[in-house]
Amino acid sequence: MTRMNRRALITASAVLAVAALTASTIPAQASEIGVSNSEIKLGMTLPMTGTASPGYNKIPGAMKAYFDYLNANGGVNGRKITLKVEDDQYVPTQAVAKTNKLILQDKVMALISPLGTANNKAVAASVNPGRRGVPVLFVNTGFSGFADAKKYPTTYSILPSYIMEAKIMAEYIKDNFAGKTLGLVYQDDDFGSDALKGFTSAGITFAVKVPYASGSQTAATAAGWVTKLSAAKADVVILFGVSSATAAGLGTAAALKYAPQWILGSVGGDATTIKAAGVPAGVLYNAVGASFAPATTDMTDEYVKLFSDIYAKAVPGSAFDNNVLIGMNTAFVTAQAIKAAGANLTRKSLMAAIEAKGSTFASAGLVPLNYSKTSHIGYNGYWFGKYSPTGDLKPIDGKYVLYTTDSGSGAVVKSTYKRPAMPAKGLPE
Amino acid sequence: MRISSTKSRFLAILSSTALVATVVIATPAHAAAVGPICDKKVPVQTCQGTTSDGAPYVMMVPANFNGTVALYSHGYRYNIDLPAGMLPSVPAGYKITNTPEPIPGGNPAIANYFLGNGMAIMGSGFSRQGWNLDVAVATNVELVGAFKTAFPTTKKVLAWGSSLGGIITQTLAEKYPTLVDAVAPMCMADNIAPELTAAGDVLWGIKTFFDPTIKGGNYSAGAAGNAEAIGDIVKVLTVLGSLKNSMSTGAWPATSSATGKALQAAGVPSRSALLLVGLMAGLPTQSDHFDSISGPDGALKLTFPLAVSPALATLENAASAAVLAILATQDVELQAGGAVYDNTKTDYSARVEDSSVIYNAALSGNTAIGAMLAALNPANPDAPRAKGNADAMAMMGKMAATTGKINVPTIMMTGVADPITPAGATQRVVDAYAAQLVAERDAAIAAAKKSREYKAPTKKLVVLWSMTPKAYTTFDATGSPITTTPAAPGTNHCTFTTANYLTVAKMMVSAGNTGKFPTGGAIATAARKSGNLSVDKYFRAPLLKYYN
Repeated sequence: MTRMNRRALITASAVLAVAALTASTIPAQASEIGVSNSEIKLGMTLPMTGTASPGYNKIPGAMKAYFDYLNANGGVNGRKITLKVEDDQYVPTQAVAKTNKLILQDKVMALISPLGTANNKAVAASVNPGRRGVPVLFVNTGFSGFADAKKYPTTYSILPSYIMEAKIMAEYIKDNFAGKTLGLVYQDDDFGSDALKGFTSAGITFAVKVPYASGSQTAATAAGWVTKLSAAKADVVILFGVSSATAAGLGTAAALKYAPQWILGSVGGDATTIKAAGVPAGVLYNAVGASFAPATTDMTDEYVKLFSDIYAKAVPGSAFDNNVLIGMNTAFVTAQAIKAAGANLTRKSLMAAIEAKGSTFASAGLVPLNYSKTSHIGYNGYWFGKYSPTGDLKPIDGKYVLYTTDSGSGAVVKSTYKRPAMPAKGLPE
Repeated sequence: MRISSTKSRFLAILSSTALVATVVIATPAHAAAVGPICDKKVPVQTCQGTTSDGAPYVMMVPANFNGTVALYSHGYRYNIDLPAGMLPSVPAGYKITNTPEPIPGGNPAIANYFLGNGMAIMGSGFSRQGWNLDVAVATNVELVGAFKTAFPTTKKVLAWGSSLGGIITQTLAEKYPTLVDAVAPMCMADNIAPELTAAGDVLWGIKTFFDPTIKGGNYSAGAAGNAEAIGDIVKVLTVLGSLKNSMSTGAWPATSSATGKALQAAGVPSRSALLLVGLMAGLPTQSDHFDSISGPDGALKLTFPLAVSPALATLENAASAAVLAILATQDVELQAGGAVYDNTKTDYSARVEDSSVIYNAALSGNTAIGAMLAALNPANPDAPRAKGNADAMAMMGKMAATTGKINVPTIMMTGVADPITPAGATQRVVDAYAAQLVAERDAAIAAAKKSREYKAPTKKLVVLWSMTPKAYTTFDATGSPITTTPAAPGTNHCTFTTANYLTVAKMMVSAGNTGKFPTGGAIATAARKSGNLSVDKYFRAPLLKYYN
């Protein structure tokens, strides 16, 4: 039994009060899992192998490239960032096991950029980072549900939601393909259902909708998609799936001489990945794509320029593509969050910093970050472009026209957002 | 475990035969208590008798008895005889038995721990089998009294039990907190309504999709009811066998309902329907041999865990749980006077809202999920809901039940993927105790304001989660999963090692003596050394679906 009389309670309270006062003025070593005087441990899960891995498996290398650059420049508040990476193969139960390892065995301070809607839902249900107080920073999924701060109190989105993407894409279709016969290929889970919600709310009607179960995307199954799409005489087809599904769809359609106007969802629209899967650049040519970040070939963009320079030195010979840019940008935003949390870095202070200052963080994104005490929403918009003859996504007429919206019934509007300039040397200030 | 020479003597003396005692005393129902009659042997004397309800018991008391006795309550035993050759698990058939079990499974190593350290053990066979919570608690109360009378130097009474015995133990501690000093409910069953809801959901789902001639409940009284229940067991096992054989093709059993056949025509694999049934009922998606994580090398490395393994795990778990589900339903219906399962208001879509995302691929995607849930909608005349008997359900509601209140130091141990007594039963107690602890702290603060002395409430609950290994499905050279190995830890029912039981026993003895648990990392260290046990306070098992 613990016994404490009233005088002792009063004394203890006074000591605590003084301590609280001094804590705000005198930096002290934080006592937090995954944080030492010299190191901050972060962990991530994503498919490094398996059907869904192409393209996404470059993200850890990209993030490490930025963190190594940051560490070489002194780290954040004197601490260097270590990234632990676990391969979940895009299997939810694997994600649970690997996340458990990261939290319980590797003792990471926070999870960063875990990929996949089903995987993140499985982790939320089984590992329960919210209950453990473990930050889940910048999940690599656009499922709108993860912005629900009540259900996922420690989870922060970064990608625009799939609903937002579909709503904005719908506007683009209305403006450019009115009267055309529309087809849709989508992943038959919450990833796809979010997209369906967005298209439905925008009043888009498809002549044919082709769902595919996650993991089933192969050339053989894609032949079935093409049969349905061509039977419906779809003029414009939206591929709203992961990169491997996009590649399977485009490659198979080309082989079967089916050539509608393609519109690629951002998740599966990375050209390097699609081309690496054997799809000729010519097949991509003139397809429409979307992004919230600058074109990866736009070396006039200060973020793209610096990130590509860092990446070229860290991973020589590896193409600087959209997955790399998004990965490095996520690492950059994370570094700013850690910096903003101050010297007494804790899980709570990190999340408080995102909520207090996250909307002002510099980033490569051309649309705003929407973090606040009541919002865990990251970016909220897109620009549209077309793939060049070499397969690079570039803004139409060379100009980024940004649209933003929300995951509800809000309108799609043209954005006037001006992003913050990159801090000196791309290091958090 | 290192065994001293004295303890070795006990090991030599105690055979497992002695520990599952053959009761020679007549056991008339509702007679006066008999015994205990002791054989006076040294170093351990065995005493036998019956309580006033006719339940046989056995006590084993060492010559150097130190005043501590551990009362063990055994798990569920079927309340009807089963013919030979019907169940692979009991090829010779099953006869109702009330043989006392003073130690888990008659394990001599566990008995040796108690007896070799001067402690006594005892257990009743109970006067009736089947779901017997009410009578078993009364029997145990009487048995403790009988022991104290026979051995007046008794100072500490510990109680533990497995499965149904777990909830018997928890109920004993809730209702008679001064009777016991520490308890250990292991792989504890939940209250009867949640347990039979899970059982009913599995049976109703299998019936609705795969064989509409399965009764699934509302059995007749007497021999006719026994025949109906046995008939259901045969049918369910036949369906599961058929599903196993068509796991890769997705074909539906020939006995499938019109609804099932329509889903088959729509391209929904039978394995997805089976998985949906398991998720609706809350069956774990890990089983004896299927971790839903591993795949064979080659083309199926990813597809197997993503699309097939969860269904195979459900199949294995359903096979483990089906017989008990049917026989427990029949037994409680007999006690309550009618059908006790009612799913007329169950929203199965809500039941699987989260899990259908996680197992989306194995369920064949949202389109297939939507089709299956639509087929189970009450509006579908081919999927009639089961309506319970209101009086019987009310009667079931009056049966003994736990609230989760913790009165004495309590150690719980449960497998996280137990398909029969799900880990959620333990989680319910954890949740209740969390609320209790907050209330106790508030009360302590309020009392401190008056007395000027703060007396912090003592933590009285430790939970040992028996975790599944990180990955454990193994494959042969052809890539087929191997299912002949023992069940993985944390799976099947009460799959604990001797080391696990001894860890619980030692914690229970220590807590019984001191009234509290050690602080610091001692418990975590003991759990880790025991193997596959975790005290992770953040682990959370899903509650039984009844509570949704």
